[in-house]
Amino acid sequence: MADRTAPSRRFLPGDPRVAEPYRLTPQLALRVAILGFLALALFAVLFLRLWALQVLSGERYLAQANDNRVRTLRLEAPRGPILDRNGRVLVTNTPGTRVELWPSDLPKTWAAQLAELRKLASVTGVPTKDIVAELAKHGDDPLTPVVVQRGIKQQQIYYLLEHQDEFPGVRLPQSYLRKYPYQSLAAQVLGYVGQISPEDYKALKKKGYLASDSIGQSGIERTYDTYLRGMDGTAQLTVDSRGRPKTAAVPIQSSAPGETLRLTLDINLQRAAERALTYGINLARSSAEGAYADGGAIVALDPRNGDVLAMASNPTYKPSLFSGRKDMKKLAPLLNPKVAQEDNFPAFNRAIQVGYPPGSTFKPVTAIAAMQAHVVGPLTPLLCSPSYTAYGQVFHNWTPLIDQWVDLRTALAMSCDTYFYRLGDDFFKLPSGRGHLLQGWANRLGLGETTGLDIGGEISGLIPTPEWRCKTFGGPPCRGYVDRIWKPGYSIQLAIGQGDVLVTPLQMARFYALIANGGKLVTPHLANDVEQSGSNGQPLRVLRRFGAQPPQPVNVDPTALNYVALGLEEATHASIGTSSGVFGNFKVDIAGKTGSAEKFVHVKGLPNAIKLNQSWWCGYGPFDAPTIVVCATIENGGHGGSAAAPAALKVFEQYFHTTATTTAKASD
Amino acid sequence: MGIEVVDPRARGLRPRPETQAVGVAGMVRRLDWLLMGALVSVTAYGLWAIDGITRHDAGGSSLGHQVLFTVAGAIVFVVALFVDPERYRRMWRPIYFGTLGIMVLVLAAGAATRGSKRWIDVGFFKFQPSEFGKVLFVLVLAGFLAERRHAVQSARTPLTAIGIGLLPILLVFVQPDIGTALVYTAAMAAVLFVAGIRWSHLAVLAALATGIALAVLWLLPAAGLNVLKPYQAERLTGFTHPDNDPRGATYNLRQSIITVGAGGLRGRGVGGATQTGLDYIPEHATDFAFASLAEERGFFGASILLLLYLLIVWRALKIVAGARDLYCAIVAGGIAFMFLFQVFVNTAMTMGAAPITGIPLPFVSVGGSSLITNFLALGVLQAIHVRRSVRRRG
Repeated sequence: MADRTAPSRRFLPGDPRVAEPYRLTPQLALRVAILGFLALALFAVLFLRLWALQVLSGERYLAQANDNRVRTLRLEAPRGPILDRNGRVLVTNTPGTRVELWPSDLPKTWAAQLAELRKLASVTGVPTKDIVAELAKHGDDPLTPVVVQRGIKQQQIYYLLEHQDEFPGVRLPQSYLRKYPYQSLAAQVLGYVGQISPEDYKALKKKGYLASDSIGQSGIERTYDTYLRGMDGTAQLTVDSRGRPKTAAVPIQSSAPGETLRLTLDINLQRAAERALTYGINLARSSAEGAYADGGAIVALDPRNGDVLAMASNPTYKPSLFSGRKDMKKLAPLLNPKVAQEDNFPAFNRAIQVGYPPGSTFKPVTAIAAMQAHVVGPLTPLLCSPSYTAYGQVFHNWTPLIDQWVDLRTALAMSCDTYFYRLGDDFFKLPSGRGHLLQGWANRLGLGETTGLDIGGEISGLIPTPEWRCKTFGGPPCRGYVDRIWKPGYSIQLAIGQGDVLVTPLQMARFYALIANGGKLVTPHLANDVEQSGSNGQPLRVLRRFGAQPPQPVNVDPTALNYVALGLEEATHASIGTSSGVFGNFKVDIAGKTGSAEKFVHVKGLPNAIKLNQSWWCGYGPFDAPTIVVCATIENGGHGGSAAAPAALKVFEQYFHTTATTTAKASD
Repeated sequence: MGIEVVDPRARGLRPRPETQAVGVAGMVRRLDWLLMGALVSVTAYGLWAIDGITRHDAGGSSLGHQVLFTVAGAIVFVVALFVDPERYRRMWRPIYFGTLGIMVLVLAAGAATRGSKRWIDVGFFKFQPSEFGKVLFVLVLAGFLAERRHAVQSARTPLTAIGIGLLPILLVFVQPDIGTALVYTAAMAAVLFVAGIRWSHLAVLAALATGIALAVLWLLPAAGLNVLKPYQAERLTGFTHPDNDPRGATYNLRQSIITVGAGGLRGRGVGGATQTGLDYIPEHATDFAFASLAEERGFFGASILLLLYLLIVWRALKIVAGARDLYCAIVAGGIAFMFLFQVFVNTAMTMGAAPITGIPLPFVSVGGSSLITNFLALGVLQAIHVRRSVRRRG
């Protein structure tokens, strides 16, 4: 072709006005070929990409597509009820509606999302920033709903349902709320139910707990959560891209309600104990020495098997505050440490979570230890003088009016401090090769260690030893440091339950149970058995009995124990007895010991700590065949006989269905 | 051509024949039947596909509308077949200014309603000038370049052509319709390429285009000057990191990829295509139609469509090679590449291999303007083909 155009170029210039005949030039052919190859290359890319997406990774994308549309809803199982030992309902459920947010169904833009959350906040009353924070916590899991609120009002439900289109991603499933027919009764024992905490969720994830789950947060609810929670069911539902349901929820697995838990508590006795506490506190406040009384605890045990019949702690709260709409102001005393201090820590179960110096209620421990260690014989007379001087230090008896020789039984009955000072001094003087016998016996009798109660939060208390002192105050080495050395005064103080010693009311009740049952340590427990929740009218079927663990003998000489018991009986009946004024006229034979432990307390409104008495009374009845042990303590309540003993009497009155008239005011 | 003229100059002075009078029968005989077959197949396939894609939509299937526009498109196709491309060549100036005028009108109307407006409402359908403009744009630039075919090697010709082309491109860009502006730009590049401008000029232009893209997407925003609105830039660059912000800017892209992938080898069928049916894939009737097709009909179904497209591109390139004159070759080349570009950018976009731009999928996406324009483009191709010079061997 080129040769055909060549002549015209060579001889004459081309005339631009004249159209040259058109031919496909090699250059154009080349360019068309390039376009062809480009087309092939681009289509190759398309096919490869299509193959990679649809065939190689098709399964994965199919799963993602299904994740997009399928919502697995949880059908909440009603939590099992909690009964007292006689089958009266302590905790049950009430149906409610919870507000859930499904992060994957929220608007796609942040602005629209925020607008929706603001609207939701104004409807439910939950602050926007709380919802946002909750959402952020679940950021990695868009297919698990975030519970905004449990138990909203009917009006709010109507509003949300009517304006469903404005609230994509909001669902209102059926829910259950804990209901407490007896309000604050046994609040600290029962505990409460709440949203699972991030730490718990981490630990329990493997057991099938979900981030939106409720879980028992304390007390019985927490320990027996696995029985009470039941099994949530599931249902599936298809939603469109805006989170609007397109099908009805199809149940996949129905929920199984939680099991019924029967406790060892007796509602009537529990209520009596709580009223007795309030009564004791008010009684103390009416006197000068107990003006600052502001709390306390009462424990009632069955000394034969460790059944906890009542466990009261004051001040208290209503666990219903934690179910449904939460009022942060009302919850502040339970959650905010500062407010809690103002209100004297109502969330604490004082029967197991707080250690107090036991005062004279500790004397039976010293008595048993002294007899076992042959420091003193039960009938050996010692002088109960107004004061006892040793190492240049003077230790006073609680009353200067007594000055006579007494045996152990009478010493217990009149709660003679100087008698026990001597024993303490004798323990101190024992050769070091024999160990710390007093502390050793205190431990054997169940003090300074947890009791094994089935609900958590129990503290071990403290039985001070020379090693403890040395370690706590910076040693070893212990020699040459004033604070680290165990001085004879510590042994003397310990003998009457003063100084650094700390016990819980439950520990003391367990120890008095040992005296009552002839030398055996019981394991206190609150749960009786788990029963299948029967339908209407059907008897409950016991699934699992927790049963009392057999009491453990601690090898106390029965004779020694008998002398102590006689001393306790005399304390409530003899004219010299410290609480005979309270129990002397009671129809049932009660034996028990008062206690007044001095401690320095910071009181509201006063600049410095002042010395106040912790009021105690521990005892049991009937004396011949004890079926109940009661241990009462009232913070800053003054002398044991004036506050704790009358409170304990109220419990016995309820237990034995009889009343007594207090004739005289008791003393220490 | 009875007598063979010996003097080549004499041959050159011979006046050009006007339109070669070809009868209807001759035209039908000379049609590219393979291309006709591809056109009919892709139209039918597209109607079948869009019926499935739109069946779960609020307004029901769009099949009825699309059939109506197909009929209109067939008429446009026949009309285009009978118009000699020579007429377009002569009238490139009126066509150019007419197109510009309508585009300005659309913009003015858009400004009046204070929003983005790409169409003029003519009662029974929304007329989208920028769609028809695609073919007209090729005809205009081809007309100019054919006029300057002797000076095509000089730098002035491509520069002037670019100057002519830039005006409509800008008018589309500010609508704002980046996708269509890109199609125009691609068509302009193809037209210059086929017209035969120098390789060195092409290289400079390619470098310039790359530089502009870099500047618009990266350098200028870094310097604090945003040519594109942030959402536009995000859409353009989002495909390089689809999982960056799955709930925000790249949500559509992610959903589109899931939609395509979920289709698998055989597809999930119309009833089982949850991504399409439950609206997870946005704009599935228009821009993301390919993703929905891939979900419902699977790899096989999507491949059939792609193969039909490939067939059309191949026949179009054949037509370029066999064109009667340079003008026709440029027009055919422009149309062929524009078609290829649209198919590639649209389908690759749904698979996360190209920027997200609002380009319809030829013969599938719901929309009258796009469908009729595609018929017009293929009509022009066939018109060129039936008037091809018959080359004899020897």
